Amino acid sequence: MPNAHDALSSFSVITRRTILSSTAAASAVPLTMTRGQATPNAEPSAAPPLSVDLVVNNRTERLIIDSRTTLLDALREHLNLTGTKKGCDHGQCGACTVHVGGKRVLSCLTLAVSIREPIATIEGLAKQDGSLHPMQQAFIDQDAFQCGYCTPGQIMSAVACVKEGHAGSDAEIREYMSGNLCRCAAYPHIVAAIKQAKSATESG
Amino acid sequence: MAGIGTAALRLDGPAKVTGGAHYGSDAPFGKPLYGVLVTSGIARGRITAIDEQDARAEPGVVDIFTYRNIGKIVPGNIMDGDGYMGTSIAPLASAAIKHDGQIVALVVADTFEAASAAAYRLKIDYAEEVPAATFDSPGTETVAGVVASKKHKDPAVGDAEGAFAGAPVKIDAHYATATQHHNPIELFTTACSWSGGKLTVWESSQNMWGAKTGLALQLGISPDDIHFVSPFVGGAFGSRGSLTQRTAIVALAAKKLARPVKLATARDQGFTIATYRAETRHHLKLGATRDGKLVSVSHEGFEVTSRPDNYMVSGTDASTRLYGCPNVASKVSIVHADRNTPGFMRSPAETPYIFALECAMDELAYALNMDPVELRKVNDTQNEPIKGLPYSSRSLVPCFDAAAKAFGWSKRSMQPGSMREGEWLVGWGTATTMYPSNISASTARVTLFPNGTAKVQTATHEIGQGIYTVCALIAAGKLGVDPANVIVELGDSNLPPAPVSGGSNSTASVSNAVSKACDEILAKRAQGANGAIEAYAENIPKGDPPDAIRKLYKGQPSFTGGTESKDSIRFAFGAQFVEVRVHRLTREIRVSRTTGAFAAGTIVNPTTARSQLMGGMIWGISAALHEATEIDPRNARYTNKDLADYLIPVNADIGDIEVIMIPEEDSIVNPLGIKGIGELGNVGMNAAVANAVFHATGVRIRQIPIRLESLLVA
Repeated sequence: MPNAHDALSSFSVITRRTILSSTAAASAVPLTMTRGQATPNAEPSAAPPLSVDLVVNNRTERLIIDSRTTLLDALREHLNLTGTKKGCDHGQCGACTVHVGGKRVLSCLTLAVSIREPIATIEGLAKQDGSLHPMQQAFIDQDAFQCGYCTPGQIMSAVACVKEGHAGSDAEIREYMSGNLCRCAAYPHIVAAIKQAKSATESG
Repeated sequence: MAGIGTAALRLDGPAKVTGGAHYGSDAPFGKPLYGVLVTSGIARGRITAIDEQDARAEPGVVDIFTYRNIGKIVPGNIMDGDGYMGTSIAPLASAAIKHDGQIVALVVADTFEAASAAAYRLKIDYAEEVPAATFDSPGTETVAGVVASKKHKDPAVGDAEGAFAGAPVKIDAHYATATQHHNPIELFTTACSWSGGKLTVWESSQNMWGAKTGLALQLGISPDDIHFVSPFVGGAFGSRGSLTQRTAIVALAAKKLARPVKLATARDQGFTIATYRAETRHHLKLGATRDGKLVSVSHEGFEVTSRPDNYMVSGTDASTRLYGCPNVASKVSIVHADRNTPGFMRSPAETPYIFALECAMDELAYALNMDPVELRKVNDTQNEPIKGLPYSSRSLVPCFDAAAKAFGWSKRSMQPGSMREGEWLVGWGTATTMYPSNISASTARVTLFPNGTAKVQTATHEIGQGIYTVCALIAAGKLGVDPANVIVELGDSNLPPAPVSGGSNSTASVSNAVSKACDEILAKRAQGANGAIEAYAENIPKGDPPDAIRKLYKGQPSFTGGTESKDSIRFAFGAQFVEVRVHRLTREIRVSRTTGAFAAGTIVNPTTARSQLMGGMIWGISAALHEATEIDPRNARYTNKDLADYLIPVNADIGDIEVIMIPEEDSIVNPLGIKGIGELGNVGMNAAVANAVFHATGVRIRQIPIRLESLLVA
C-alpha cells in the first residue's frame, strides 16, 4: 500500500518541512506540537510580510504575504484560485497538486515566497478559448471522478505523470498516480482517462 | 430522446475538471477572518485553566472563543433521535470534557497563519479522569437496544434456540469490525457571514434544510434567517448528513466580530468533531439441515456509542431477513464509552451486520462441503421470514448467476489453499449484498421555457452520485428537451426542500418529485398555457405520513421502504465475487479482481451508476483490508488521525473492478421504480474479501480489517 510520494520527491523548491527542520528560530510551529498544549513563553512566530512575484497561469501576481503562507493558501485565499483544493495540508492526499516549473508539486508543502518558477493550476490548463485540455476531456469521458474534489489534483498529476514518461502501462500509471487519493474511489476510471489522453498530452 | 436509462456524461463534468465547481470550502466571502479550532487533549474531565496570553500576543489574532465567552448555543438532539445533530455533546457549553478531541476553543485571526500559530500557543490545563475507551474498557455501560430506543425492535420468529440445538450442521462464531472514519477529501470547513440579521453559511452538507433548521434551533433564530450553500460537496459518505457543533460556534464568532469567518478545520480534528462508524461485535449462530437449508439464524450485535447518545445502527433489521428461515432470534446492545458520538457512514447498518452473517454463511458452506453460491440459492426466498411479507422485487439469484459466470466461478476448487500461481496463494470468495430501497417526500420546481430549455430547482445535494445529471435526464425525458439544455440548481437551502442525501434515497426521492412537476407542466401546456411554464410539485410517496411535506420543510425526511412498509419489504440485491492473492511467504494480500452484479430497479444514468457501484466495491475492499481507526485504550484517543496513517486504498491497490447491472422492474417501490445504489456496492464486499482470504489460505479471520499480520500465524 504505497503512498507513492516518491514520485513527487524531485521538486527543487524550499518546503515548509525543510524550513522547519533547518531554521528553528524562524520556524512557525514545530509539527510535533499539539494545539492548546503550548509550552510557556514561546517565541513570537510571526515575521514581517514579504513581497513576492508569482507567475501563475502566465500572469504575474505581486503578493504581500506572510512568510509562512503556503502556495496552496496563496492561490486559494490571496488569488481566489479555489480550483486547487486543500484535503489534508500535510502532503498526504495530493488534492493540492499544481505544476511549478512544469513539475508536479504539493502546494500545501511549498512556501509561496520560495517559488521562482512559473506556476500552473487547474484554472490554467484549458486553452484561452475555453477548449479543454485532452486530460480534462478524458476525465469527463471516462467518468474518472464522482464528487470531483480531488479531481484538479488528479488531473495536474496525470498530466505530469504522462510528461514524466510514467504512463507506459496500467501498473505504472497506478503507481505514479498513487500520491493522489480519491475517496470516491474512481481509480480504474482515472487509469482509463490517462490512457485516453496519453498521446495528446505527450504531443501537447 | 435522452431520458431515464440514457448513459450520459456528467453535465457538471466541465466544472469539476476546470476548478469551476464551488464546494462548501470555497466560500466567496471577501476579506474574511480565519478561524482555527483547538481540540481537547483529554477524553474525560474538566478544563481547569485557560491561558490566552501567549496566543493573544500572536500578531493578527482578533479573538479567542471558549466556553467562557462564546454565548448560548442549544446543544440539540442527534438525528437518530429526531434532531439534526451528529452529537448532543455541546463542546463549549461548560468546562466539561466528554471525549478526546472535543472542541475547546476557536482562535480567530486576520490570517490563517496567525490563527494556526496562536492555536498552538494557547495553553489549556485539565483535570483528567480515567476514560473508558471501547469494548472491555472498565467503566463502559452496556444497554439493550430495545431499552435505548423505542424505535428499535429485535426481530425474531419461531424458536431459534431449540432449532439450533437440534440442527445437524451448526456454525457458532464471533466477528468484529473496526472503527472507521469517512475521511472525505474535503475537510470539515465552515464559513459564516451575517448581513442585516441574516446568516449565510457555506458548508458542504448532505442535508441543507436539516442543517438550517437545526442551526436555527441552536442559535434561537428563525430558519428563514439562515441560508446554507454548497453547490458541490467534496465527499460525504454520511459525514455531512447531521450538523456538527462547529457551525454554531463559527456563526456566533462571525456575529460578534461583524466579519465573515472561515473555519479551516484540520484533518486530525475531523476525526473527533464529526461522526464516524463505531466498532462492532457479533455473535452468529446458524443451524442447517445436511442439504443446506437454514433452520435457525441467531444474530447478536454490540455497538459502541458515546456516553450521552443512544446512537445505534441495528443491522439485524436486514440480516435477520436476508434468507428464508423459520426460526430467527436477534438482539442489539449498545456500549457507552467516553467517545465522540458515532453516526451514519456508508451503509451504516448493513456493512458490519451483513459482514458477520455472510462470513458465517461461508463457514456454513464449508461445514456442509457445499458451494457457497449454491448455499445462497438454497436459502433464497421471495418472502422475508419475520412477518412473511413479500419482497417488492428480489433478483438475487439472477445476480449470482450473472456474476458467477462473468467471474468464472465454475473453475474454482473448493479446497482452501488449492489454487496457486507461483509464490501467490489465490483465493476466490463471494457474498450477498443488500440495501433497503428508501424514498422520502420531496419537492421540486421545474420551468419549461419557450426556447426549448428547462430549469430544475431542488435543494438536494451533489455528493458525487451525479444528481445534477439525473435531474436533467428526468426533466429531459419528460419534457422532450435535450439534457444539455436543462439547467439544474441544487445545493442551496433557498430552493424547495429535498430530504437528506443519505440512505441511498436521493435519486428515488428527487426523481419522482421532478417527474411529478414535469407532469404538471405537460398538463398546463395541454390546457393551453404558453410562455414559460412553471410547476412546483410535492411528492408524498405511498406509505409516508400525511404531514410529510410539513416535516420536510422542517428538515426532516419521511423514509419509507426497507422494512418500514406494511405490505412489502423493499431491498436491492447483488452478488459479489473477489479474487485475492496472498503471498506465500510475506502474507501480503492483494485484491486482483472483483465482479459485482446488482439489481436495483430502474437505473436512471448507467454511466454514473457504474461509478457509484464501483466506488462502493472499492470501499468494501478498503474496509476488509485497509481501514481502521486505532484507539489507545489508556486515554480513549485515536492515534492515526491523518491520511498517511489511516489507510485507504491508493490507485496501486486497486485491480480490475467489473460491474454488471441486472435489469429489474419494480412498480411497488415508487412510480419510477428506482432503488438506491449508493450503498449497495460496499455491503457484501467486506465478507467476500474475507471469504476469499480464507479460500486462499485456509485461515479464517473473523475481524476486519485483515492485515498481513493477521495471517502470520498461518
